[in-house]
Amino acid sequence: MINEFLFFEDSNTKEEKMNYLNLKIQIRELIKNDFDRNVLTEVLLDLRKDLSGQSQTVLIDLYKDLGLHNDAYEKLSSRKWQVVSSGILELTTMEVDESYGLIIKFINHRQSTIRKQAEIAVVNLKEEGIKYFLDNTKYKIAEWQQLKLLDVLRHKPNFNAPQFGLWLTATNTHVVLFSLRLIKYYNQNEAEQSIITLLKHKNRDIQAEAIECIKDFHFVSALPTLKLVYPKASHDIKIAILDAIGEVGSENEVSFLEFLKSTERHFNIKGKVNSTLNKINPESVLPTKNISTAEFYESEIEIEETLSTNNEIKKEVELSITEPVLDITMELNNEPELSEENIELESVAINSLPNEETEGEIVNETSTDKIEDEVELDIEVASDSVEQLDIDLTFLTHVNDKNEQANNDVEVVEDEEVKKVELAELVEELENELTFNFLPFVIEEVAYKEEISAFVEEDFEPLFVLDDGFIDEQEEVASLTLGERTTNEFEDIDWSTVTAEAITDNYCEPSSIDEPLVSFESDGISFSANFMPQEELDAMVILENIAELGDCRELDVLQNIADKNSSALVKERANELIQKFLYQSPRPTELFSADNNLSESVFTEIYNLADEETKLMLLSEIKSVGDEKEIHLLESVIKTESKFLAKAATEALENIKSQLSLVTEFIPKEIDNDSIFDVDFEIELSESIKRNIASNNSGSTLFDQLCSMSNSLYKKKNG
Amino acid sequence: MGKRVLLADDDQLLASLLNFRLKKGGYSVHHSVNGKEVKEYLKNEMPDIIVSDIMMPYFSGIELIDFVRNELKSKTPIIIISSAGNEQNVLTAFELGANDFITKPVSPTELLVRIAREINK
Repeated sequence: MINEFLFFEDSNTKEEKMNYLNLKIQIRELIKNDFDRNVLTEVLLDLRKDLSGQSQTVLIDLYKDLGLHNDAYEKLSSRKWQVVSSGILELTTMEVDESYGLIIKFINHRQSTIRKQAEIAVVNLKEEGIKYFLDNTKYKIAEWQQLKLLDVLRHKPNFNAPQFGLWLTATNTHVVLFSLRLIKYYNQNEAEQSIITLLKHKNRDIQAEAIECIKDFHFVSALPTLKLVYPKASHDIKIAILDAIGEVGSENEVSFLEFLKSTERHFNIKGKVNSTLNKINPESVLPTKNISTAEFYESEIEIEETLSTNNEIKKEVELSITEPVLDITMELNNEPELSEENIELESVAINSLPNEETEGEIVNETSTDKIEDEVELDIEVASDSVEQLDIDLTFLTHVNDKNEQANNDVEVVEDEEVKKVELAELVEELENELTFNFLPFVIEEVAYKEEISAFVEEDFEPLFVLDDGFIDEQEEVASLTLGERTTNEFEDIDWSTVTAEAITDNYCEPSSIDEPLVSFESDGISFSANFMPQEELDAMVILENIAELGDCRELDVLQNIADKNSSALVKERANELIQKFLYQSPRPTELFSADNNLSESVFTEIYNLADEETKLMLLSEIKSVGDEKEIHLLESVIKTESKFLAKAATEALENIKSQLSLVTEFIPKEIDNDSIFDVDFEIELSESIKRNIASNNSGSTLFDQLCSMSNSLYKKKNG
Repeated sequence: MGKRVLLADDDQLLASLLNFRLKKGGYSVHHSVNGKEVKEYLKNEMPDIIVSDIMMPYFSGIELIDFVRNELKSKTPIIIISSAGNEQNVLTAFELGANDFITKPVSPTELLVRIAREINK
């Protein structure tokens, strides 16, 4: 039915026209039903998307002709936003221009879907719709919405775009932004000053879009503003400005860019500055990062050149060596059999050479022995030079030049003798140069040694210096003690250097040297510490024993040894030990010894260092916890301290004494502390305890068992 | 009997409209709604021209071209209907051997002209 309507043509036959009219009546009857009307509307809307051209126009006309747009109008007055939105969409799709006046009121609707649908409808339905929209919209225009609106405008047939620069002054920043994009799209470059002014806009998107416009329209007049805006711009805007300067700018901007290059710290911006500089002035900025220095490559090139030069020389020398030998050998072999043809060829070759050389050649050729000798000599020299050519010869620049010259000469001149002569000269020069240039290595080595020796002598001093006299003395003592007693093994030693004068008292008296230090016996060697007097030796033994086992109690002994002994060694050792034991704390065992003053009272040291208040506190503590050790301290306090302290000390002393008297009443005079079992009393359990034990079945608990065990042990011990 | 047209499109509404228009234009139209049907039909009968949508269930328009050109070894003209913005598929279709293309929204009259042109070549 719809197809009949869509493809109805005026050229159709009468029957077809009658059929068309009948279908129209049927449809009108059908659309009286809401459901059918809705289905038809949906079908037409669907077909509208797939059809174009004449069919589309017919479809839209059918839609309007059937009055389906009235349903869409009703939808606009719905309270449901989705119904309103679908009504706007329907009217927009079916291009119902009459609905424009109804839809524009939704352009600032608070519901975003209705608002966006209305925006598209307004722009779509009438050409002035975009103007109305840009003038009146108060809301944000989303990026996607901007794209959709632009798409609508693009596909709008015969659309005459207004001057979008007019909206660059709009209060809605989104309108300004959208206008800038429309200006760029429609290439409307009339609003140059407005766009340049927008470079100073606070909105970054507008700034960026304005820069894009400037770049696209090539606004040279924007350069000062771009430079002005640059310092306070964000990173993205800075990069965009630099991009625009690169597009629009000239060499006048190089100084500005150079300034930026030196001041900018941001990696991306700095890179953009460099690229902009290169864009304006190509190749003005060259890569600098990760570029090796020229010396790096120069050294490589030098090495390569040297190697190649050496190889060339080597080849030339080899050629010049081998060729003559072969030729001459051939000549020597063939000389008796020289044909006329060969002679003629040679004569031609000779004639081509200068006269002087030719004469030399003739002379040389006549004497084959001489040639052989010379060739051998040249080979030897040349082979030597070849061996040496493996060394870097870059320093032989003039020689290289000569080599090249010589090589050229060798190539040009065919005469072998000339080659030999030049080669000999070359080799001689090479030898000279090599000899000369190798010499510094030797000199450097010598200088190096001298430097080291000077360095050591001047700058270094030994950490300690052995006294020669002391060493001599030690040697002499050793020789004296050893010399006379040795067996045949020591007889070969030269004792002539030993002198009695060199021996000092500190080490050994000559008269006291009676026994050998080392005696060789049948079963081995026995050592005798007889290198010092017996008295001194004894003293040293005592001192070493004290050092090992003694403590501060040996101070008197040590002092006595130091005083009595005349030996400096003994005195020194004794003094060392005295110093050591003076700072040594007593041993734990001594704290409890009866004669040790440190065992008197633990309060003594604290008391001496304390103030009066602390002393009172200490005395109070002594009173409560003190024992006989504190008696001496308390007595001294009573004698020396103030009355107040003396009173407290007296109280403490009386308390301690009373406690001690109580203890002494119960403690026997002689107690063997070694045995805990030797007590002179027996533990008697009270009757109540006995009953308790009996009732508890005697040892039911661990404590009871322990008690019974101790009692049994006690009884066993006492029989 | 007019020239046989195979119309392959899963959009039945548009297909019926085009079917109507082509029949009115004097063509014998066979409509298939998916690739399977198209394949079965082509095994039995080869139309004078094929009009196919690119996007179809089971068997796309691109595959259809490949099937006709490489498997059936047929040189039957093929017109592709594609959506706007689907240029890459159109290029692929031409590479495989499509003869023409038309974008949606379709103008039935335009399609009729293109079909006639391809058949009369």
